[in-house]
Amino acid sequence: MRHGGSVMAPDATLAVHYARELYGRRQESIRLWVVRRADIHDLQDPDLLQPPLDRSFKKPGGYVMRDKLEAARDQAGRAKPKAKDR
Amino acid sequence: MTDPLALDPVLPESERSRLTSIDQISHDERRRRFEAHIEAGGKVEAGDWMPDDYRTEVLRFVEMHANSELMGVLPEREWLMRAPTLRRKLALTAKVQDEVGHAQLLYRVAEDLGKPREAMFDDLLAGRTKFHNVFHYPTRSWGDVGIIAWLVDAAAIVAQQALRDSSYAPYARTMRKICWEEAVHIMHGRDVVVTLVTGTPVQRAMVQEALDRWWGPLMQMHGPRTPREKDRDLAWRIKAKTSEELRQEFLGIYVPRILELGLTIPDPDLRYDESAGAWRYREPDWDELRMVVTNHGPMSQERLEFRRLNREETRWVRESILGAPSSGGWRRGAPPPTSESEGPIIVAGAS
Repeated sequence: MRHGGSVMAPDATLAVHYARELYGRRQESIRLWVVRRADIHDLQDPDLLQPPLDRSFKKPGGYVMRDKLEAARDQAGRAKPKAKDR
Repeated sequence: MTDPLALDPVLPESERSRLTSIDQISHDERRRRFEAHIEAGGKVEAGDWMPDDYRTEVLRFVEMHANSELMGVLPEREWLMRAPTLRRKLALTAKVQDEVGHAQLLYRVAEDLGKPREAMFDDLLAGRTKFHNVFHYPTRSWGDVGIIAWLVDAAAIVAQQALRDSSYAPYARTMRKICWEEAVHIMHGRDVVVTLVTGTPVQRAMVQEALDRWWGPLMQMHGPRTPREKDRDLAWRIKAKTSEELRQEFLGIYVPRILELGLTIPDPDLRYDESAGAWRYREPDWDELRMVVTNHGPMSQERLEFRRLNREETRWVRESILGAPSSGGWRRGAPPPTSESEGPIIVAGAS
């Protein structure tokens, strides 16, 4: 199940209809869950979901920064510095 | 990177200088042969004959390094209980443990040159010996922790890489082990900075503000320029590069990495001069450096006091294990206190 999107509706019945119209009209879904947003509990805390019990923070492999660096560079509007041999 | 488990063996006989104090040559000749051995790239082990000034020079160098590793954990220690996530807290704890381990390795090297560990602690806490300027400054935010772990460690590793081929072999071996461990610290620091930079505006501002405060001490860290000919440490090949060479190397690697994150460096004169092949920068404040390393920095006394208290509080542990009075009981010129132990414990490398 993947997050498809959201609908605004006054009640549950209309919400189901709207969801089918928006996310199922072209047979792109075989199953839909329609849930009131307030009933969703969102758990994102990395300490709970990926506790560092593997000790990767002690190893070089624990610091893969490629995506973060790219995001930082894009944000700053800068290019990757060329490898210099000074 | 060097495999941390592959400990280099002690130098074989063929590479030692083979000088002793009782071979039948004059003092001058013995010294001349030692100098020739060093100039030819020869190495010295702890038990080899060495002139007193070489011994003192190495001891002074290693002692300051050991002091710096020991005092260097205190700024970061302040943030262990305030780290933003568990992973960061564990990583910072591991880093602090590594640094104290480095201090232990370096005090071990220094002890073998003839100065007891307790005397080194006495001198450090009495302000008679020094530690690096960067560890005399306060940390004001989590941004500081990222900047220190990344850039201060980077400046240190640039210096330490240059020591991996030191003429004093025990020190050179220790540097290889330390450099391997420091590499992970730098990644951790850089990860903290990059995370803050790609975070909220408040986080970005925090890390920029930290960089603004730390840039001055960082530029002072490698020390003022000394001419090659006057540098005793270079002559003895204890170190291989001058302060200015280390600073240039640091700038060459790290300025592009700082700028690529969109951070600004608070030195309007900083630029690479293509024609000279060197970085130009605003002259660091050498008066500030001198004042700080003589223990007049903003946190110098507070951190030394912490160490004094810690040493008192843990004295009972040392006395239980070593079975001898320590700290304050060591008097210069007095014979060492008798102890149950047979001597230093030798650790052999596992294969």
